[in-house]
Amino acid sequence: MITLGLQEKNTLLAEVNKRSGANVLECYQCGKCVSTCPVSQYMDFPPREIMQLIKLGQKETVYMANSTWFCLTCSACSGRCPRQIEIPAVMEAIRHIAIEENYVNNTKKVKSIRKFHNIFLDMIKLYGRSYELRLMAEHNIRTRDLFKDMNLAPVALLKGKIPLLVKPVKSIKAIRRMFKLADKLEKKHQ
Amino acid sequence: MARVGVFVCFCGANIADFVDVNQVVEEVKRIKEVKFATNYKYMCSDPGQQQIRDAIIQYRLTSVVVAACSPRMHEKTFRKALFDAGMNPYLLEIANIREHSSWVHQKDKKAATEKAIDLVRMAVAKSIANEQLHEISVPVTKRALVIGGGIAGIQAALDIADARIPVVLVEKSPSIGGKMAQLDETFPTLDCSQCILTPKMVDVASHPYIELIPYAEVLELEGFVGNYKAKIKKKASYVNFKTCTGCGACWQKCPVKVPNEYNMGIDKRKAIYTPFPQAVPNKPVIDAEHCNMLTKGKCGICAKVCEKGSIDYKMQDEIIEREIGAVVVATGYSLWDPKPYEEYGVGRFKDIITSLEFERMVSANGPTGGVPIRPSDGQVPKNVVFIKCIGSRDEAKGIEYCSKICCMYTTKHTILLHHKVPGSHSYVFYMDIRAAGKGYEEFVKKAQVDTAATYLRGRVSKIYKKGDKLIVRGEDAQIGQVVEVVADLVVLATAVIPNKDNPDLARLLGVSYDKYGYMSEAHPKLRPVETAKAGIFLAGCTQAPKDIPDTVAQASACAAKVCGLFSGDTMKKDPMISSVNNEFCSGCQNCVKVCPYGAIVTEEIPMSRGSKEMRTVAKINEGVCQGCGSCVAVCRSMAISLAGFSDPQIINEIVSI
Repeated sequence: MITLGLQEKNTLLAEVNKRSGANVLECYQCGKCVSTCPVSQYMDFPPREIMQLIKLGQKETVYMANSTWFCLTCSACSGRCPRQIEIPAVMEAIRHIAIEENYVNNTKKVKSIRKFHNIFLDMIKLYGRSYELRLMAEHNIRTRDLFKDMNLAPVALLKGKIPLLVKPVKSIKAIRRMFKLADKLEKKHQ
Repeated sequence: MARVGVFVCFCGANIADFVDVNQVVEEVKRIKEVKFATNYKYMCSDPGQQQIRDAIIQYRLTSVVVAACSPRMHEKTFRKALFDAGMNPYLLEIANIREHSSWVHQKDKKAATEKAIDLVRMAVAKSIANEQLHEISVPVTKRALVIGGGIAGIQAALDIADARIPVVLVEKSPSIGGKMAQLDETFPTLDCSQCILTPKMVDVASHPYIELIPYAEVLELEGFVGNYKAKIKKKASYVNFKTCTGCGACWQKCPVKVPNEYNMGIDKRKAIYTPFPQAVPNKPVIDAEHCNMLTKGKCGICAKVCEKGSIDYKMQDEIIEREIGAVVVATGYSLWDPKPYEEYGVGRFKDIITSLEFERMVSANGPTGGVPIRPSDGQVPKNVVFIKCIGSRDEAKGIEYCSKICCMYTTKHTILLHHKVPGSHSYVFYMDIRAAGKGYEEFVKKAQVDTAATYLRGRVSKIYKKGDKLIVRGEDAQIGQVVEVVADLVVLATAVIPNKDNPDLARLLGVSYDKYGYMSEAHPKLRPVETAKAGIFLAGCTQAPKDIPDTVAQASACAAKVCGLFSGDTMKKDPMISSVNNEFCSGCQNCVKVCPYGAIVTEEIPMSRGSKEMRTVAKINEGVCQGCGSCVAVCRSMAISLAGFSDPQIINEIVSI
């Protein structure tokens, strides 16, 4: 059960709106995002419910929801939203606040997604691009699921979808500088 | 020898899909009087009518049968087609093969076709005995009666009077203005209600063609369209309006305090009072129930302080009569009493109020100076819960229908609360948001986005008290969880209901009303302001719940209807009325008793030519008779005949099948 009317101000709403640049109040709960989203069926709270929970100021539920981690940022939802709300930006904002405020969803799936995110960023840091083969290998090792999606590898390799070897991009130094700058900004922010 | 033409309509697919229209034509052609028969996709269209006009001339038809929709829909259309071809329009018969066959027998085409053939055959037989009839002219009294001085009555009266037609406006309370005068701002533009209403009220009072009769009720209406006579009771006001200047000395000194109806009983008024400062007429009346002088014979202060000597404790109710031609009923609505909502603690918790009480509080001229307060402790509330559909759409508690205006005024209230109380928050429990109107959806968005009102989809299950707060418990169906809101004040959007005396007034006027008590229009789509009784029109919530724009539009529509009715010196009337054959009339007067319109009187005629002995016979007043046929059925000597439904016609119909 949810109790409303105790908080002086809906700080969750204010913070999410500020960080995402969207206005969650615009949402009129039509649910088009939910039926558009390719992964909504795996979410504990699909995007429409996340929007309503933000309106009701339900911090804990919103931060702990797996929805924000399942979100692919594919923007299909915002592309079809009749009120033109940037839902992926809202999801992104929630992910950030949740990490900052130490709300950690430790279910197996969310853990694996977080690992994937980190490995992906590592790839960017090293190569300036995604190195799919290494990403797959590392993810499978770190999540201790060695043969996951292995059956797809031969086909993908043969069709040239994933290159065997990858060299860092030309501007790799600039990309690494960006990472350093981001680190610095984050520290300053804290 | 009769020569009948038959015209069968497809009605697009409405008839043709379920009735074999070709077979109907083939069958009907076998009747020997039928000289021409055809069918067409839309008989009512101009090419369809042209076929009728051409056939009348070409085949020298003596009567016409159109097999189509209900005569209520297109009888006039086809009569005109006959008239245009030089034929008496009453030689038309309509066989209703849509409502009476195709629509009700959609599952069985064969049976529907058989029935349609029978219906056409009957109409052909009847039409053979049709006689030429001619419209009757009746004189018209060009004066309209408007009952009710709310925005509907005001608008109707002004529009009619602007066409230089005299209007008698009767208002039950001491001032015109109605419910709209109690409102603060109006959705969706937030126009100040008083600012747009009061100038119209003043216009009514000063209009040369409007006779304003406040504090009065209509007691009786007799007569018929164009020639009504209304009996109006002017309630004793105990104040001579002619000399009273409205200075206010009387109500300032009056010692009796009574809950103020205008402010929903939140504050008090005196026993001599004007309902509100902008009242029209701005003259006080004495509330006879509470006045010390009138109840106990002691006091008389108002008479002492009145410099003009306008107070008259001996004043009596006065009955006046007005001759009028048409009536606009604009008596408005009431609000449902939410007492049955015991689970909300209505009546137990002081901080549960109705929307109109909230409206009075936030009103600039309201009892709390425009700021809402908690009735329990006078504090300004921060968290306010609004609950919609109180009574409306709740079959267990109240009413099946939607009250139409609550969604929008609740939206307005969230915005007003946001304006009047900084830092406040609105929670709205709703079932649906019905914002169908110009600028309405945008208005709801304004409340949800700009003023951040929290909308929760669900009905409240209960309200309980915790400390000095009210805990409102309901489901938010959008997340499928139970929600409890800690509230300072709860506002109930109570249902719009018809006035308690609506059925009585409807009976008095002779118009029908529905199961709730709203007066019924003649046709829900095509005759929305007329009643089934000619010359009586409906404006505003007398007919059904509606908002101000719809009410004003309907009032103006009524005015247009009245002006149309009064456009000539006489009125045309359908000739299908009863007549008495004096030879057969035995004078039993059974017909007088059954006539619902009071159209039958008796007269004395000589027993025989030149005889001095007299006998009583019935006499029909042509202007009043509506042609219902009750008298024909009850007449035991078969002396009464209804034009257009004569015995030969009916017998022909029966014999034909």
